Amino acid sequence: MPSRPGWVRSRKAVQAVALIAFAGLFLLARRDGLPGDLVNVPMRLDPLLTIAGTLAARAFMIGSVLALATLLLTLVFGRAWCGWLCPLGTVLDMFPVKVGHGQRPAVPEGLRKVKYILVVLILFAALLGNQTLLFLDPLTILFRTLTASVLPALDQIARSLGDLLSQVPGLDGPVSSVDTAIRPLILPAEPVSYQDALLFASFFVALVALNALAPRFWCRYLCPLGGFLGLISRVALFRREVSASCGGCGMCAEECPTGTIDPARNYASDPAECTVCMTCVQECPLATVTFTPSLSAAEGRPYDPGRRQVLLALGATAAAIALFRVDLFAKRQSPFLVRPPGSRESNPDAVALTSCTRCGECVRVCPTGAIQPAVVQAGLEGLGTPVLVPRLGYCDYACNSCGQVCPTQAIPLLSLADKQRQVIGKAYIDQNRCLAWSDHTPCIVCEEMCPLPDKAIKLELQEVWSPDGGTVSLQMPHVVRDMCIGCGLCEYRCPVSGDAAIRVYVPQLAVPI
Amino acid sequence: MPQLSRRDFLRLAALGLGAATIGGVLEACKSVTTPLARPTSSRPGTAAPATAAAPPPTPASLPPATLIASPTAAASAGYPDLVVVRKGEPDALVRRAIAALGGMERFVPSGASVIVKPNVCVSYRTYEYAATTNPWVVGTLVKMAFEAGASSVKVMDYPYGGSAADAYATSGIAEQVQAAGGEMVVMSDRKYVSTQIPAGKWLKQTDVYDEVLKADVLINVPIGKVHSLATLTLGMKNLMGVVRDRSSMHGNLGQAIADLNTVIRPDLTVVDCVRILTAHGPSGGNLDDVQKLDTVVASTDIVATDSFVATLFGLKPDDLHYVGFGAAMGLGVSDLSKLKVADLTA
Repeated sequence: MPSRPGWVRSRKAVQAVALIAFAGLFLLARRDGLPGDLVNVPMRLDPLLTIAGTLAARAFMIGSVLALATLLLTLVFGRAWCGWLCPLGTVLDMFPVKVGHGQRPAVPEGLRKVKYILVVLILFAALLGNQTLLFLDPLTILFRTLTASVLPALDQIARSLGDLLSQVPGLDGPVSSVDTAIRPLILPAEPVSYQDALLFASFFVALVALNALAPRFWCRYLCPLGGFLGLISRVALFRREVSASCGGCGMCAEECPTGTIDPARNYASDPAECTVCMTCVQECPLATVTFTPSLSAAEGRPYDPGRRQVLLALGATAAAIALFRVDLFAKRQSPFLVRPPGSRESNPDAVALTSCTRCGECVRVCPTGAIQPAVVQAGLEGLGTPVLVPRLGYCDYACNSCGQVCPTQAIPLLSLADKQRQVIGKAYIDQNRCLAWSDHTPCIVCEEMCPLPDKAIKLELQEVWSPDGGTVSLQMPHVVRDMCIGCGLCEYRCPVSGDAAIRVYVPQLAVPI
Repeated sequence: MPQLSRRDFLRLAALGLGAATIGGVLEACKSVTTPLARPTSSRPGTAAPATAAAPPPTPASLPPATLIASPTAAASAGYPDLVVVRKGEPDALVRRAIAALGGMERFVPSGASVIVKPNVCVSYRTYEYAATTNPWVVGTLVKMAFEAGASSVKVMDYPYGGSAADAYATSGIAEQVQAAGGEMVVMSDRKYVSTQIPAGKWLKQTDVYDEVLKADVLINVPIGKVHSLATLTLGMKNLMGVVRDRSSMHGNLGQAIADLNTVIRPDLTVVDCVRILTAHGPSGGNLDDVQKLDTVVASTDIVATDSFVATLFGLKPDDLHYVGFGAAMGLGVSDLSKLKVADLTA
């Protein structure tokens, strides 16, 4: 059917603009990009992230008022965010997975409950100081996937293509120009690797593949942000109404991407499920569908979580968080769980855990790829929180970008001078693997790399045993613990293969006695 | 959404595979024609009498070490072997030094492509900290190369701390180079070529930056700094910036640097001693470690420049291992008494 100009076209235009804006802010979230307060606007517009973050950190960020805009939008128009603005929703619209020519398998309506239960879990957990489940927020999913999987993979492809094309006579120059002029604007300056890039990509692919069971499967049944906005939409001002002149053709129920139009109830829909996509308004041959103001609350649906289920969810949350805290991991964290600069200092207890909303802005902005989203290193509770992995990238002495983009200041805003003094970790030399200490080979790379003005790595000239029976004079590196800030440049550049012979460990915390 | 038919898909796939195959073939060709460093004599229109007698290069072999440097021949043309210029602004120091060596035209023929290689080791030090080459020294060389008729002047280094673009900006070098009309190049990972070092005693092969090997003229502009393993990092060591794998060179650094210098032969080395770094090199960070000498040292003989600059640090040329190895391999002269030195003021 040829599409008439109208609501659907306007909605698609808005969706495209919102997606492009999201992608643009994603790309510009880098050093020398836009200011941090601008690039993290999408995260601040997300009311679930904002409210959970505020509850968990028990601190209100002034930027959080942006989330009121989304709340207001929802109070007036219902889940218009989902239908018109959400970048993940738009991406899911772009991949309408078709399954054969037959019917899709029926998805039980009760599954819609999942997203509401998730909201309960997330908000209650936030109240108890935990934000683990925010890794399921649609914005964090999309941002993390773009950061850790899509962009690095595109970079790989671009590099391979560049390698290939630069072999073609005459194309060497143009490829170089693209490399210098365009690449730095979009792709990382150096190739960056992310641990579990494949896992994040698979998760995302699975999420898109669920479209095969039902359009926007994720938004209908699972999305906690959708659930949260849906709960608010129950009291939204504008409601979908079907007038009495409805001929009962059923086209709206057929076309509805969230499947909330019920032929058995005179084609009425649930405001908590409707994403205000306007397809039914435009497609109805008799123009019987309108959105009209109404002050009553929406009636309940069978899939709404019952009181007992909510209580069960609350109990499960409390139990899970209690278990997180008696888990071995909470008592004895990995010695390599190095966090971005300042996050340990600002939250000496649980580090980035309490106020980190898993948005991934810091991962994206880190120019060396040092900051990685945790999968297992930070325990189950720390899923998606940032860890600094110096063997993959070092904390650039001239950079303080992570603190600038963090929307919740889980990573504090540090001036460059302060960041250069901020202790992130402490380097220790493994003398059993160090070239100088164990192989009697001259190597001072760690000392050479140390960016501190007075160098936290000192060299001691020693006469040491050599395999030929004599002695050899070598410079042995020592780390001066009081000076080391744990930037990890030494670990990153250590020429020993595999794990470096100098590694950054979590700094000793002052333990009250 | 437009449907991609199976036929179209296969067609596209065949095209892609074809392109990949051609690329693979070209890649294979590339490894056969590994570019080798040319001797200085092959540069078009080079007027240096020192190299007039050198045979044309053959791709199979490198010039023997004995042919690489002959400062005595340069002296016979009336030029000093080495020029030291003291007291003055950086640009004046450079201009005076190059003039004393016979002018930039001696090194840069009209239409030549020029690469200037400063030391830009990290992205977090401004030039006052003497971790990176003085921007005006670099800028003046770029300007003079263009005045001599260079067709292009590219400036590059590979910092080990921070990105190249940041380092170029922070050091102040980008501003001066661009003002002079030169181009700052961020070195690309794909442009290193495997290079044999036939004259090498320890380092036999390494990946060298293609553009550096191909340029008509290479001007080496290090800054005088201390370095814990090399003692000082000067002209010879500065060339490590154009090889991919530097860390493996540390196992026998002095010899490795000398070996590298048999294949990368700068036409001119200008050591920036406007400020020198006397401790905590190579990245520094304390102004107390910086000594302002307002001096540049220039020569076609890289061993000679490094030998002389050693004395500015209160050291002897032989205190630098690579100088000793370099002199032994015939790369230049380290015995300062055998050099015709012009000690000037700007």
